[in-house]
Amino acid sequence: MAARAEVERYRPDWREGRVMSWITTTDHKRIGILYICTSLVFFAAGGILALLMRAQLAQANEHFITKQSYNELFTIHGTTMIFLVVVPIFAGFANFLVPLMIGARDVAFPRLNALSYWLFLFGGIVLYLSFFAKYGASRSGWYAYPPLSANMFSLGHGQDLWILSLHLLSLGSLIGAINFLATIHNMRAPGMSWMRIPLFVWSIEIYSALLVLVLPVLSVGLTLLLLDRQAGTHFFEPQGGGNAILYQHFFWFFGHPEVYVMILPAMGIISEVIPVFSRKPIFGYKAIAFSTVAIGFYSMLVWAHHMFSVGLPNFLNVFFMLSSMVIAVPTGVKIFNWLATTWRGNLIFDTAMLWALGFIAVFTIGGLSGIFLAAFPVDWQVTDTYYVVAHMHYVLFGGSVFGIFAGLYYWWPKIFGRMLDERLGKAHFWLVFLGFNLTFFPQHLLGLLGMPRRVYTYSEHGLWQTYNLISSIGSGVMAIALLVFVVNVVQTSRKGPRAVNDPWLADTLEWYTTSPPPPHNFDHLPYITSARPLRDLRRRLAETRG
Amino acid sequence: MPPPVRRKALVLVLALGAALALTAVAYAGNGGFAPPTPHSPNAKRINDSYVWISIFTGAIFVLVEGSLVWFIFKYRRRGRPRSAEGPQIHGATRLELIWTAVPVLILATIAGFVFYKLPGIQDVPSAKAEGGPLVVQVNAHQFYWQFTYPDGQISIDELHAPVNRTVRVDITSQDVDHSWWVPELGGKFDAIPGHMTHTWFKADQVGTYRGRCGEFCGVFHAAMKAVVDVQSQADYTAWLGTAGSALGRGEWQGSCAKCHGLQGQGGFGPNISTNALLTQGAGLEQLIRQGRNEMPPVAHGWSNDQVQALLAYLKKNVYKGTTSGR
Repeated sequence: MAARAEVERYRPDWREGRVMSWITTTDHKRIGILYICTSLVFFAAGGILALLMRAQLAQANEHFITKQSYNELFTIHGTTMIFLVVVPIFAGFANFLVPLMIGARDVAFPRLNALSYWLFLFGGIVLYLSFFAKYGASRSGWYAYPPLSANMFSLGHGQDLWILSLHLLSLGSLIGAINFLATIHNMRAPGMSWMRIPLFVWSIEIYSALLVLVLPVLSVGLTLLLLDRQAGTHFFEPQGGGNAILYQHFFWFFGHPEVYVMILPAMGIISEVIPVFSRKPIFGYKAIAFSTVAIGFYSMLVWAHHMFSVGLPNFLNVFFMLSSMVIAVPTGVKIFNWLATTWRGNLIFDTAMLWALGFIAVFTIGGLSGIFLAAFPVDWQVTDTYYVVAHMHYVLFGGSVFGIFAGLYYWWPKIFGRMLDERLGKAHFWLVFLGFNLTFFPQHLLGLLGMPRRVYTYSEHGLWQTYNLISSIGSGVMAIALLVFVVNVVQTSRKGPRAVNDPWLADTLEWYTTSPPPPHNFDHLPYITSARPLRDLRRRLAETRG
Repeated sequence: MPPPVRRKALVLVLALGAALALTAVAYAGNGGFAPPTPHSPNAKRINDSYVWISIFTGAIFVLVEGSLVWFIFKYRRRGRPRSAEGPQIHGATRLELIWTAVPVLILATIAGFVFYKLPGIQDVPSAKAEGGPLVVQVNAHQFYWQFTYPDGQISIDELHAPVNRTVRVDITSQDVDHSWWVPELGGKFDAIPGHMTHTWFKADQVGTYRGRCGEFCGVFHAAMKAVVDVQSQADYTAWLGTAGSALGRGEWQGSCAKCHGLQGQGGFGPNISTNALLTQGAGLEQLIRQGRNEMPPVAHGWSNDQVQALLAYLKKNVYKGTTSGR
């Protein structure tokens, strides 16, 4: 008692209290929860923007929203989903899980970790407040090509605030990524060699490495754009001797690896969930780990496949077509290995598993449509149409978001100590699965019919109208599905059954501690002898008992 | 059937029904599953590549989704306890090598076919029999297309071309990025200020082909459409003779009326039909060449003749005189 009182005397008052303790926290689990919850709020905001767009496009020649507002909507929707939802929610998962999975007390730099979260939050707030700038928020698309994003064609400060917001977000991500790398490299439990770390940790290793390598390039591009706008330079202005295509190289050198930053952790989650609910080890641990590394490597060599129509020299088009196709190989390896994991298993269709299997089903479609886009003559026909919109939502919604929900249902008991309701969870999954395909599958067909992306309206009737209407109805179904999730969370937050340490009979170390874990994570750790320490423990326990 | 199974079956039936309805609608309308019917050799070869890729991706789709559904059905829990494990198989190197190597072969087959078709898509035919390709300059502006023909004629938003004649288009932009795209006549090529891109077409049928801007270019991106009017050689030659007299009207409709309304009554931009500036040559020229606030520099790069054509048209057809009391 005496020792405890002494410790408390050194703790300043301002760090206590329900709110202040969250604001001042440096605990990786609390920061992880902050990240995840903030991202989910932005997910709702970005989703509302998307619903408004789908309402506008439900019929030909509609006047639900104005042209400029529509352009703000898709710019901020894209920026939100990428920078404020998928990337940070994975930072949240990584924050909560990586130290637990590798048996560490916290991340390597807890205070930097807190800084990274607050930069993210302020970046998001800046982005949304930019709607109140004169002439509104940025409306030049999420990749903000100059000259459209230059001063002359993007009046007001919406574009500048967009740049400021992305600078804040990039800085936050960069700090977080360095933190994860330092943690994974230095703080693994005794016995946890590189071939024994969970596959989710492998995916965070590559996620972080990619962010460290490419975020600075984005920052350079954005800084030059800002200088063009505010300091009168001409880096990207052809009339002043600059080069507009240069920006596209800067942007996509970041932008394509960013795509893998957003999908690799989802694949990591799938690689954790499928074995546990198949009651089998992952099929080909090394193949999946190395394919993650391979995807990370190749992702930095494919950026100009976003630029096939700018008229690059033929040899570059050929190079980027081949490198983009090569990425399909390690991606295919993962899909086949997941399928093989379910082969002869004891498949348990809890909600987390439904999301994981749903991921395989829809991500495959996104991967296959990507092959059409990689073949650059075909890309000339379908790029910048709704075909691309469909493709990227099949990989980013069908891939990343399905992965995120798989992760939420799987780790929710560990994070919050309560079980989510399975019936509501399954309703949530099936409604999203239905709504997702209704929304995005017809968009492939719209693109092939000739509908460009980013148009605020269209005058064609017939099939254009039919597909657009189906798509808009699908978006409504998804909105209802997400309300089911909210109901699930609210209902179980007080009345849900308490989670035991290891409700799924899982394989990895985070299930060794209590749900939720204590501030110091583990009282003691077992020596790690395989990639499935929890299963080893269960077997040892059974042997001693038997 | 016990209730949960029945419910799942119902969901499945509904989803399948929706998919079938979708397919039926798509086939009935003859479109949506491949790019539009091509009317130029390059577009035709792009469609061939599309079909070729579809064959392989279709097969992979059936294989992956089929085995997924099959495994889900075959290895479902069937009341086994959670602790019942499947066989502890950690991998199979030979199998994994096979599903690494086979995709490589499939991709090589796809790439090989695309490269075989590529020269016929990309390279402008020399068209010696026709005396070389007809070269048309495409200048993209916010938010209209300007076409300049070999003898200096200019048209706006309407590209005229003779049938069965190789036409090379040289594409650039006067302001922001745009993209030239007429789906039936080939793929997209960006119009980027300071750069020139090229494509070509050889339309096999008289008719009109719709084009759209393929790169987001600002507030009227959706209105930035083009029509390619493919005519017989005689009609084309006759049209060239009349192009000059229609220029002012084309400029008004393409570069002014999208924002200010067809009568200048205002729309996204203000009402200009009563604005005396319309009659003040020098002031108006400066405005349209340099833009102001939200108004883009629509006449950037215009020749003096082009400006005069617009001014004449404005005075004659748009200007309604200042309203009384001003």
